[in-house]
Formats: sequence, structure tokens, C-alpha cells
Amino acid sequence: MSKILPGTKTTRMELLRLKNRMRLAERGHNLLKEKRDSLIMEFFNSIEEIKKTREEVDVALASAFSALTKTKMVMGPAEVVEFANASKVQADLRISTRSMMGVVVPVLSVEQHVPQLPYSLPDSSVQLDVMSTKFKEALKAVVRLAEIDSTVKRLAIEIERTKRRVSALETIVIPRLDATARYVKQALEEREREDFFRLKFLKEQMESES
Amino acid sequence: MVGNKIVVIGDRDTVTGFQMVGASECAIPTTPEETRSVLTRYFRDPDTGLIVITEPLAKPIESTLMELSEAPVPVILLIPDRQGSTGAYEDVLRELIRRAVGIEIKV
Repeated sequence: MSKILPGTKTTRMELLRLKNRMRLAERGHNLLKEKRDSLIMEFFNSIEEIKKTREEVDVALASAFSALTKTKMVMGPAEVVEFANASKVQADLRISTRSMMGVVVPVLSVEQHVPQLPYSLPDSSVQLDVMSTKFKEALKAVVRLAEIDSTVKRLAIEIERTKRRVSALETIVIPRLDATARYVKQALEEREREDFFRLKFLKEQMESES
Repeated sequence: MVGNKIVVIGDRDTVTGFQMVGASECAIPTTPEETRSVLTRYFRDPDTGLIVITEPLAKPIESTLMELSEAPVPVILLIPDRQGSTGAYEDVLRELIRRAVGIEIKV
């Protein structure tokens, strides 16, 4: 049995107000249900995408690491680290946020500026070029994955929140409003019957007196 | 929008590779405490846009990561290191699906 809202007065105004609130709650409930459904749809699309991108990242990183190993073999590990430290390649990350059904998700894009001569050519091996290209691709894939990954996480959090709201409306708010409205209505009807009976009683008395 | 730096936290090879292609800040922490302090430091830096951290390093500080990934920017991403993926990532995904849909779905 759902509880009646405390402090409800049994008046017609109150009944009207309760009915309005009921309507509002039901509309909110429907809207939230729709939101939840489309969020879940979006979520599964993103899951598909994330799987694909994840594989891409795995492949790109694996080949980048093997290129790194080869470079180390050709040039020596210390030299490679030195070149990496001195690298003039710049990666500019652009971050903006976009709203996806009220969920703020980041949008990332990366711009890589490669100077004509990123490092000293006579001192480096051709393997360094190969490795650098591979890592560039890997970085791109990583940035794309980062975007989708955080989208999915945020969507999941939002779905959870929406679900909780839907069920709160469904199992607590709406039944409670419903019960209160019924209680007010019954009380009003009861009072009406009392009035009616009182009138009848008075009329009978007046008739018997005369 | 703020944040255009890519930060890489990982082992020597990962850091070397990404430094080559323009990651602006790198760290090679050796203990979980160090990882955590490095991570929070970069996280608080308003110039940071993306933090890439390798899975083996992320494992011991999972709770901190969870806490930090609530904010939209900077984005924190786990990547496999040269040993390949440890599967930690799939666990996270499965947990997310379970929480969102209420049932476990094989991905």
C-alpha cells in the first residue's frame, strides 16, 4: 500500500492540484522512458564502435612496438631515447565537448605538425622513420579511442541515472500521488453525503413540526 | 576549449615512442604511489587534454582512476603496453554494460 502524502488537505483545490501533478509525473515518466531507450540504443552503437577501434589500436601499437624494437637494434636504445627527446614533431590536441541527449561528451581531434626535418638525418636510421610513422598512426588511433571510450563511459553513467529516475517515478511517486488523490476524492464524497443527509434530516424535522 | 597537451604515463618504450610523435609530457613512474601522484598532478593541470596510461601501471591505482574519470576533460585512456592487452579493459566494458542494461552481454 502506498503512502498518502503527508499534510494533504481534503479540498477540491487540493484534488485539482494533485491531478495536475499526476499528469506531470506521468508525462515525465514517459519522456524519461523514451530517453532511456534511445540512450541504450546509442550505447550499443558506441560499444560496437569501441570494439573496432580497440582492435585498431591494438594492431597499430603492436606494429609500432615492433618497429621500435628494430630501431633500438639498429641504433642502440640510448640513441633512440635521445632522438625521441629531441623530436620536433608536435601533436596538437583539440578538445571540445558536445551534448548527446543531455550527456556532455568530449570530442577530440589531433593535428600533427611534422617539420621538414624532424631530426638529424645523417645520425638516424631509416628504421626511425618507419617507427615514427607507425607511432603517428598509433597516436591517431589512440585519440579516436579516447573519444569513444569516454563517450561510452558517460553514456553508461547517464543510463544508470535515468533508469533510477524512471523506476522511482514508477514505483514511488506515481502510486503515492494516485493514493493521495483517491483519498481526497473519497473524503470529499463522504462530506457530500453527510451534507445531503443533514439536509434531508432537517427537512423531515421541519415537516413534522409544521 | 582548454587542454591541448597529450600526457603519456608508461614504461620506457611507450614513452619513447609517443615522445617521438609529439606527446608533450611524459612520465615513467616506478611505484604505484608515484603513478598516482604523477597522474593527479597532470590531471589538475588545465593544459592537459588527454592522459594515456598503460594497463600494467593503471592496475594498482584503479580506484583513483575511476574517481578521476568522472570529469569530461581531461580524458584518461588505458592502452596496452608492449606485452599486449591484459584484458583489464574488457572487464571494465563488461561491468559498464552490466550496470547500464542490467544483464551481462558478451561483447
